[in-house]
Formats: sequence, structure tokens, C-alpha cells
Amino acid sequence: MSETIIEAVALAVELGGRRILDGVSLRAEAHQVIAVVGPNGAGKTTLLRALAGLVASTGELRVAGQDPRLGSAEANARRRAYCAQKPACAWDYRVRDLGGIVGSPEAFAERLTQFGLNDLADRRLTRLSGGEQKAAHLAMAFASLVEPFGAVLLLDEPADSLDVARQALAADAIRRFAQAGGAAVVATHDLGFARSCDVVIVMAEGRLIAAGAPSVTLTPDVIASTWGA
Amino acid sequence: MTPARATLAGLAGLAALVALALSVGAQGFGWGDGGAWALLRAPRVLAALASGLALGVGGAAQQGVFRNPLADPGLTGVFGGALFGIAILLGCAPEAAWRHAWVMPAAAFAGALGTSALLVLWGRGGSSARLLLTGLGLNAFTAAGTLVIASRSGESRELLTNGAFGDWLGMATFELAWLPILLCLASTLLLLPLARAFDLLAFGEDAARGFGVDVGRARRDAVMLTALAAAAATCLVGQVAFIGLLAPHLARKIVGPRHRWVLPASALLGAALLLVADTLGRGLWPQAPLSAAAVTAVLGAPLFIWIARGSHE
Repeated sequence: MSETIIEAVALAVELGGRRILDGVSLRAEAHQVIAVVGPNGAGKTTLLRALAGLVASTGELRVAGQDPRLGSAEANARRRAYCAQKPACAWDYRVRDLGGIVGSPEAFAERLTQFGLNDLADRRLTRLSGGEQKAAHLAMAFASLVEPFGAVLLLDEPADSLDVARQALAADAIRRFAQAGGAAVVATHDLGFARSCDVVIVMAEGRLIAAGAPSVTLTPDVIASTWGA
Repeated sequence: MTPARATLAGLAGLAALVALALSVGAQGFGWGDGGAWALLRAPRVLAALASGLALGVGGAAQQGVFRNPLADPGLTGVFGGALFGIAILLGCAPEAAWRHAWVMPAAAFAGALGTSALLVLWGRGGSSARLLLTGLGLNAFTAAGTLVIASRSGESRELLTNGAFGDWLGMATFELAWLPILLCLASTLLLLPLARAFDLLAFGEDAARGFGVDVGRARRDAVMLTALAAAAATCLVGQVAFIGLLAPHLARKIVGPRHRWVLPASALLGAALLLVADTLGRGLWPQAPLSAAAVTAVLGAPLFIWIARGSHE
């Protein structure tokens, strides 16, 4: 039996008096890639931020062996990485600087190769396209977890602004991370990618609509009732 | 040039500037018989050096913590708050101000911390314009407050007016300046370990937390230490504009944007800029020296416009 790496029970988040996440439960085991899908405003980003311990939440939560709400930011970061949907940067670093900033230049250099960014290592971030910047930020998140075994990767729309080739590279990197013993939770609008995942969580209006294997969650009925299509 | 070499070159250049600053003064050029003139000028040179370090690193730290290249304790009211703190002390209890070495720095720190807290409370989280406008408002308020107190207190009027014009370096003696000099050095050194937090904060608070930064603690430490740097520097030199803005911009041009190099390079450049300004002000007009703040503004404004134009090319 696989080790449970993420366990959330009745996770709820209120922001500005509004319930953004409403009693979501999920479980992720080592070697699993979990897709979180749903229409805009479904609460996907909030779920990922709650799992990362970046937003106050109620309910039970264990991520990579600890409750991220109680652990220090440093302790959380050792076993969990998070990449936002639209990462931005205030200063014009060179791509290779990011490895030093994240504290693992060697691991970052390997990820640059993996994401096809090797030739851009000396470029400044503002000289990259949106997709190249996103790939550089993804490389940072991957590189921050030196040991994937038992670790958690939380990615918000990783394919956003990536070209088709880099989308495939990102999907491959996520799959390899899971194969090495980690668990990845990926918020996505790409139902094709979601169908390739081990588990799909369908959300709408902050609630869980369906959870399970893609064949039982991404049915025409669920898609029609969730997206109204 | 690598950042390490640039920093070493900066240290060597600063040492040469210190030697030059010790040679220039109303008594003539040179160190005097047995270094007597140099000894006389040493407190002023040390005060300029220490306050320049604090002004430079304070600017870099405020830009780092607010992720805003236009943040500068001089523009955002933190220096203004430090001088306002001193003005309140001199207005309310002028005799207490000189009783102990720590009284004036404590008043300046309280003022700087007060404006910093209001800046965080009202200016953070919105656009960079909101932060700057809040800072400009605080700056205007503290300047007005200092002016009101100066105009109402006869004996402190000249002192406060000189402070507002950044003209206090000439008063520096070892007895008056030793504590602010130590505080400038301490705040500069204590800000350096925040480099990693500033580097990661550049990606936003969520990303910084995600990569293991205790954002609340880093912000609190940065704000408190920047206020301390501003307070200590204000006690030595009064109000000086531009150095907190100019030094980090020059530093980034030379050593790149990583804060592990930007912070020390900004400190060294801040010290160099203030030393050059003070030495020029004394050297060109020995009998009626121009204040360091005036020379800084005369040199700094065109330099800053040149940098701003370059950044768009």
C-alpha cells in the first residue's frame, strides 16, 4: 500500500467574509499526480494555497508529514513546493541567478535542461517570453525539492502560456517527480492533461463535485453539469 | 567584473576617499603636523562614512522589502520621521536631549519607526504609486511638523533648520557621534543577512513563503532595521535625499540585482557618495562649506535622471 502524503478533511477557507473553499476533502499518495479541474472561480487556486499553508484554513490537514499551518515556512519548504499561476518578479534577475536564490544551483541547472531553457541561462527575466518565464519559475519550484521522495508539488496552471513542446516537457517532469515517490497536485484547465492523471478532482463554487479516477470523474454528465457545456 | 571583485574594488576606493576626506578642510590641504588636522576632521569623516553606509543599505532594504525600485527612506518619510522625532524631543524637553548619548537616537528611532509603521499600514499591498504617495504624504507631514516646532522653539530653531538641510556633519565630535556611528554600523551589518529574503520576496509574498521565507518576520526585521539606520544617520547628518535611492540603483548596475551583493554594494556606494559630497562641500568652499545634502542633491539629481534614462534604453 502506498504512503499517504496529503490528507485534507473538510478543508474550508473564508476570505473577506466569503467562503471560497467549502469542506473539500482529498487524499494523495506517493507516486500520484492529481489534477484539480473546474470552471473559473471554482476555488482551485485557493485549494492549492491552502494545501501549501499560504492561506488560513479550517479542517484537518497533513502535507508531507506535517500540518503546514503549524510548521515554520522553512520546514514546510523542505518537503513542499508551490508555483503560482502567474509568477512575477520585481527585479530583473538572470535566469541562472534563480538557482542560487532558491538555494540549489545544481538542481536548478538540471531543471533548466529538462525545461529546454539551457540556452537562456544568461538572459534576464524581462528578455524572456511569458512562456519561458513560466518555465523558469517551474524550474525553480522543482529545484527547491532536492529529494522528491515523500515530497509534495503544488502547481497552479503549469501549462499556462507554455508552448506545446514545453507543455509536454512540464507534464513529463511532473510524471517523473511522482515516479520518484512524490505527489503532485496540479490545478489545470487542460482536460486532456487531467485524463492522463491518476486522480481528478472536479470543483465548482468552492465545493468538491467529484473525485476519483479520470474515467469516473470526467464523464459527459459531470462535465455538462460543472461547466454547463 | 564579478560582484566579489567589484566589492573589493569598492572597499579600496572607499579607503582612498577616506584618506582624501581627511586631507581636505578649512585648515588647508594635508593631514597637518603629526596628523593633527586629520584627527580634527576624523569625527566628521567617520560620521559621513557611517551615515552613508546606513543610508545606502537602508534604501536597498526598503526597495527589497516593498519590491519597489522607487522606495527610498528619504522619499517615503522615514528620514522625515526621524528628524520629526528629534524635533519633538527638542521642542518638549531640550535639556533632556543632551543628557545621555542615547536620548537623541532614541527619539529619532521612535519617529522613524512611527512613519515606517504608518507606511506599512497605509501604503503596502496596493500599487507602487500608493506606497510612494503615502510616503510622500508622511514626508510632507513630518517636514511640516518639524518646521512648526522649529519656528516655535527659539533655541533649537537653528539646529533643526540645519538638520532639515542635512548640515549636521560639521557638529560631529567623538562624544556626540560615537553611538549613532555604532548604530549605523550595526544596522548595516544586521540588514545584510536579509538578502535571501529580499531575493525571494521579489517573486511575491506567496512565492517567498512557499520557498521558506518567514515573510512577517523578514518584513518586521527590515522595517525596524531600516528605521534604525535612518534614525542613526539622521542624528549624524540630518536629512539627505537621493542617497537611499541612488546607491541601490548604481549598485544594481554594477553587481546585478542579487541582494547578497546589492546590500553591501549599496552601503559602500552610499558611504562613497556622502563622503564625496561632504568633501566637495568643504574642499570647494573651505570658509563657508556647502552641506553634504546640498551637494548630494546637486550631483544626485542629474545622475539619477541619467540612470532613469538608461533604464529605458
